[in-house]
Amino acid sequence: MTSTDLFVSPLGRVEGDLDVRVTITDGVVTSAWTEAAMFRGFEMILRGKDPQAGLIVTPRICGICGGSHLYKACYALDTAWKTHVPHNATLIRNIAQACETLQSIPRYFYALFAVDLVNKNYAKSKLYDEAVRRFAPYVGTAYQKGVVLSNKPVEVYALFGGQWPHSSFMVPGGVMSAPTLSDITRATAILNHWRDNWLEAEWLGCSVDRWLEVKSWEDMQEWVEENESQYNSDCGFFIRYCLDIGLDKYGAGVGNYLASGTYFEPSLYENPTVEGRNAALIGRSGVYAGGQHFEYDHLRVSEDVTHSYYQGDRPLHPWDGETIPIDPAEGRKQGKYSWAKSPRYDVPTFGQVPLEAGPLARRMAAGNPDHAEHQDYDPLFIDMVDKLGPSVFVRQMARMHEAPKYLKWVMDWLSRIDLHDSFYTKPIEPLSGKGFGGTEAARGSLQDWIVIEDGKIANYQVVTPTAWNIGPRDGQETLGPIEQALVGSPIVDMEDPVELGHVARSFDSCLVCTVHAYDGKTGRELSKFVVNGMV
Amino acid sequence: MSSVLWLQGGACSGNTMSFLNAEEPNVVDLIVDFGLELLWHPSLGLELGENAQKIFWDCARGDRPLDIFVFEGTVIEAPDGSGRYDMFADRPMKDWVIDLANAASIVVAIGDCACWGGIPAMEPNPSDSTGLQFHKRAKGGFLGPDWTSKAGLPVINIPGCPAHPDWITQILVALATGRTADIALDDLHRPQTFFKTFTQTGCTRVQFFEYKQSTLSFGEGTRTGCLFYEFGCRGPMTHSPCNRILWNRQSSKTRAGMPCLGCTEPEFPFFDLNKGTVFKTQKVSGVIPKEVPEGADHLTYMAHASAARIAAPSWSKEDMFVV
Repeated sequence: MTSTDLFVSPLGRVEGDLDVRVTITDGVVTSAWTEAAMFRGFEMILRGKDPQAGLIVTPRICGICGGSHLYKACYALDTAWKTHVPHNATLIRNIAQACETLQSIPRYFYALFAVDLVNKNYAKSKLYDEAVRRFAPYVGTAYQKGVVLSNKPVEVYALFGGQWPHSSFMVPGGVMSAPTLSDITRATAILNHWRDNWLEAEWLGCSVDRWLEVKSWEDMQEWVEENESQYNSDCGFFIRYCLDIGLDKYGAGVGNYLASGTYFEPSLYENPTVEGRNAALIGRSGVYAGGQHFEYDHLRVSEDVTHSYYQGDRPLHPWDGETIPIDPAEGRKQGKYSWAKSPRYDVPTFGQVPLEAGPLARRMAAGNPDHAEHQDYDPLFIDMVDKLGPSVFVRQMARMHEAPKYLKWVMDWLSRIDLHDSFYTKPIEPLSGKGFGGTEAARGSLQDWIVIEDGKIANYQVVTPTAWNIGPRDGQETLGPIEQALVGSPIVDMEDPVELGHVARSFDSCLVCTVHAYDGKTGRELSKFVVNGMV
Repeated sequence: MSSVLWLQGGACSGNTMSFLNAEEPNVVDLIVDFGLELLWHPSLGLELGENAQKIFWDCARGDRPLDIFVFEGTVIEAPDGSGRYDMFADRPMKDWVIDLANAASIVVAIGDCACWGGIPAMEPNPSDSTGLQFHKRAKGGFLGPDWTSKAGLPVINIPGCPAHPDWITQILVALATGRTADIALDDLHRPQTFFKTFTQTGCTRVQFFEYKQSTLSFGEGTRTGCLFYEFGCRGPMTHSPCNRILWNRQSSKTRAGMPCLGCTEPEFPFFDLNKGTVFKTQKVSGVIPKEVPEGADHLTYMAHASAARIAAPSWSKEDMFVV
């Protein structure tokens, strides 16, 4: 390769790692296309490798959700190898995975989402100056605290896993580490520090317990007005500001939701199986579609590649999934426009539908009253969606609501570790098997399907939350969740359509998004802007 | 004031996430105290759309001075050298890379992917990924073996999967405070101040290594012993400061009982993760480690090991990292 060759390139129409094209008619988005623009081929890399290769490779799919990748890759092997997982190991896996999410919540909120709240489009709001004081990048008071302190929860991850991101310390049969007394006490102290200095002091303005008494939209409104501390906290301010600038009015999406669930009750998942998974979950799985709850069944998942840059002519379950890339230049001629596949779920009586993944989906699943004692039951967001409908605002509140909830869970799990008991049971490594592992990354359902033959990986498929949310149209031409969420968004300033950024970012997809806006009548390209997601 | 432009190719953003864990300085300090002017970054950048593209073009054309170009992720060349598997701002990312690398005073590769290809470049390398100036251990990579930046330096490699935040921030501070001349590079273009030492340097298990006492199991088994003999730990053959500058200010993989994977070396992931190579020491005749510590040979190693086992005190056979 010489330098001069590198200047020669064909021009594609796609920009950025994700491209969102929208059509705007009379100030409202009428159609949208999401286009993922980068391909590395992890599923191809994993074929033929050691069965445990997924523990090293899949966290590197996404350095933001690497701990979540490790967690589900490990359970995929636990189910394939039929391991025994000691209680302590389940607790430590839960703690580590939850700490990754506790890190992600403020880091995403301040660094990626809230910086848009100071967009000049909102200068007319009487709350604008206060928004700038808090959320302006690098110098905002809330930005600084939230972003800097987001590194604390993953210090706890490092105590058990050695480092974050990109540890591989969860292995079939348990975890590699065996903590000492001071690991537990230090973990407790770090999380207390984070709670005292950010979660309660800055975000909530009240105790974690007080916030968790909020069970309905009325409760939340009362909470804001209850005292000055709550009213002026970042959370109180955010609620007031969202309502003032109308973030509760658009970004609804498909209105159907998927949670694959995460965190296991140790005594119920000593011998992980696919069949026993739903009942052992603390953070619940479930599908909420057409206003009804359905039990989650991974066999109902399939991936469609009609509009994705892959070969394939029908939706396949991930155990039978294929990843055969084609040149995007060729793919475009066939109507393909994204590197993301389109995951779909066969909802009983509904058929194949796109489902939204993420914190709001988890909250909807948690609103199912039919739950076991150890499982999360939380009616707040069913109530909010009933009364307000889903929106950018409701999606953001669902995400932030998990910080106090998960912190309490982590503290409970820490208290239950028996330092004198076992952390690992050495598994037998069978030469063949099929496994399924799932979790909830901060940004939604994350699942692996593995097929092992002759002591090697015969097939490995990963379905990420970004695929669920950002995936393109399917064979029925049904829009993916973000595509659907963009439709109906009002665009106040056609030359600076910040509303599209709010919608796309409210899904917290792990991609760098580039949004093009087109005028539906003239086809004139209005503007382009990059949505600061993460790869 | 130093201007920094940070882009991602075939990346997972792990180095960015690691960077955001930094303290002393943290990301806010870097910008507010050290005057780092972050022109744009995929996660932190503020300018949108045409304003963002204008920054890239202004830098590429030399209209705006670019002091430091940071690249994270592989350079993707597929299909057929076109780079169309990774499009960014209207062009294959690889075209931005060459323009911006040539425009910058200094180019820094962050993480294994940018240094030498990392995991995406592992067999069968579906995206034709490579590093900026190395492909695995072979010098060349995307920019070529003889390429130098405007300041006359080759690409500065800060490897690791991910790189530790300090390896990133301290180098940025050194560049921003006029200490570029103090950054001595090894033959893989890594700053020696970080990568002369071994991962094993400072490992809490080094006494067990000294007496050849092995960890026998994960979990509670890691309360004692060294991970080199059974679990494929590459600490003695890997250059990094992981046990000098702790991760997340708390620990390291080997301290937590996880074998070092050698992720600051170009061969990572070793053995292409083929059957039987994951978390398992590769051996000759079932007992002798195939690879011995850097600079040793098998005969000397075996002689030393037998003597060390004889000398092993009784505590070296007991749990040390106890409750």
